[in-house]
Amino acid sequence: MTDTPETELLDIPEFDAEGWNEYALEQGWGDGMPLALPTEAAVAKFVAVCRGDNQPFAPVSPRQIVPTLQSLAANAVMAGCKPEYFPVVLAGLRGVLNADYNLHGTLATTHPCAPMVLVSGPIRKTLDINCGSNCFGQGWRANATIGRALQLILLNIGGARPGVMDRATHGSPAKFAYCFGENEEESPWTPYHVRHGFAASDSVVTVMAGEPPHNINDHGSTSGEGLMTTIAGSIAQPGANNIYGKGPYVVVLGPEHAETLHRDSWTIERMQQHLFERARVPVSRVSKENQASYAGSGHVPEDGYYKIAPTPQDIHIVVAGGPGKHSAWIPSFGGTAVISVRVATA
Amino acid sequence: MHIVNPTYGVSAAGGEAVAVKPVDWRADPIVLFSNSKPNARELLEGIRARLGEIRRVDNIEFVHKNSASQPAPAELIEQVAGKYKGALLAIAD
Amino acid sequence: MIATETFRPLVLAQAKARKIEPRLIVVKHPIGGLNAQELAERIDTATAGLTQAIGA
Repeated sequence: MTDTPETELLDIPEFDAEGWNEYALEQGWGDGMPLALPTEAAVAKFVAVCRGDNQPFAPVSPRQIVPTLQSLAANAVMAGCKPEYFPVVLAGLRGVLNADYNLHGTLATTHPCAPMVLVSGPIRKTLDINCGSNCFGQGWRANATIGRALQLILLNIGGARPGVMDRATHGSPAKFAYCFGENEEESPWTPYHVRHGFAASDSVVTVMAGEPPHNINDHGSTSGEGLMTTIAGSIAQPGANNIYGKGPYVVVLGPEHAETLHRDSWTIERMQQHLFERARVPVSRVSKENQASYAGSGHVPEDGYYKIAPTPQDIHIVVAGGPGKHSAWIPSFGGTAVISVRVATA
Repeated sequence: MHIVNPTYGVSAAGGEAVAVKPVDWRADPIVLFSNSKPNARELLEGIRARLGEIRRVDNIEFVHKNSASQPAPAELIEQVAGKYKGALLAIAD
Repeated sequence: MIATETFRPLVLAQAKARKIEPRLIVVKHPIGGLNAQELAERIDTATAGLTQAIGA
């Protein structure tokens, strides 16, 4: 053990709210929106919630800094979290620190990916995480601030400063906050985390470096087969990183689409297999130069089509959202993995 | 007023700077390490051809990552470190 | 290392984090998407930088 302190206090001038925000943004600590003040007292409340979580953290890329609970909590405070959100933030961080997630690559890339945070299990209700209407959008403190806290940690601890270490060509609005809950109550299938080996009573955070959701509109189809035709056709795109055939992706079914699919006997496994076989890009939609480039890495078409998921199991299907005939596709960075972490609760 | 530093942590690299072994770039075996992005191989091949004007090139070899978006595997880095005196890396899009 | 000018800050920041003093040759951005003629200019610049760096 070393005597490394768990925190570092900074002596700053006495600011009002506006002055503090100006100061914090000048330090490069923010995302452009107002930040709460990480006082010792506020941080202590967050740390107290997670005192039992003694697992060390891996260094955070790209700055390669090992964080402390206090510095992590300071970011959650600044993001506007409530103390009880902090274990979810930490589970998300542990997810993105998993080597298979490839945090460094996902931050230094020119691709617009952001850490997508999916929350499953009972903590969704305890924390009032939005799983229904507008679950990717504004209006819910838990969704907005949990996603934002993770981003601020990657900025301030990891050093992923836009334009320097974060090299995204455009970035995306998902880089402000990207957190939603699974709509387990309206899902006709087993919850995502239970399908992946967790107990129904566990609360689980699942992360993936993803693009913002791409909408899949289908008001006309009245059958599961029809819906799957639209979903597969929407996913089969030559311009997403999944075209390289190396990464996972997420399909978020709206509850109404899910109900129709379930009525017509579509299981999760059947949908995965169907999308694996049908959501493919015809060679005619891929430029000659890209065909040559893909061939160089061993990615060649099968029967005139490029597959975009390595296996059916790389297609992750969940139900979320509210009423309406929409679903969503979340392409990944490609060189990343979907990682699930149980939330450590007291 | 006091606040908790939101950037605080301990450097995983430790305090010591990494020492680089001397390389004779005009004679030693070297490797051209591609990041597997489009044109990286072509760029490095072009450089290798031009280096032929000032040094032997039969001991200049190529390696590449399996994927442009994934880090190079540790085994590959170990192999390169053991076999070559110098490595020229291409880092760009 | 050969980096394009756009990626220079990333390389320097990464080297600093890893306490490495990189020997850096900077060429114009980008590399991808160039045709053979355009790429030849990058090869010229990189080779000139390399020969200068090694004192040849």
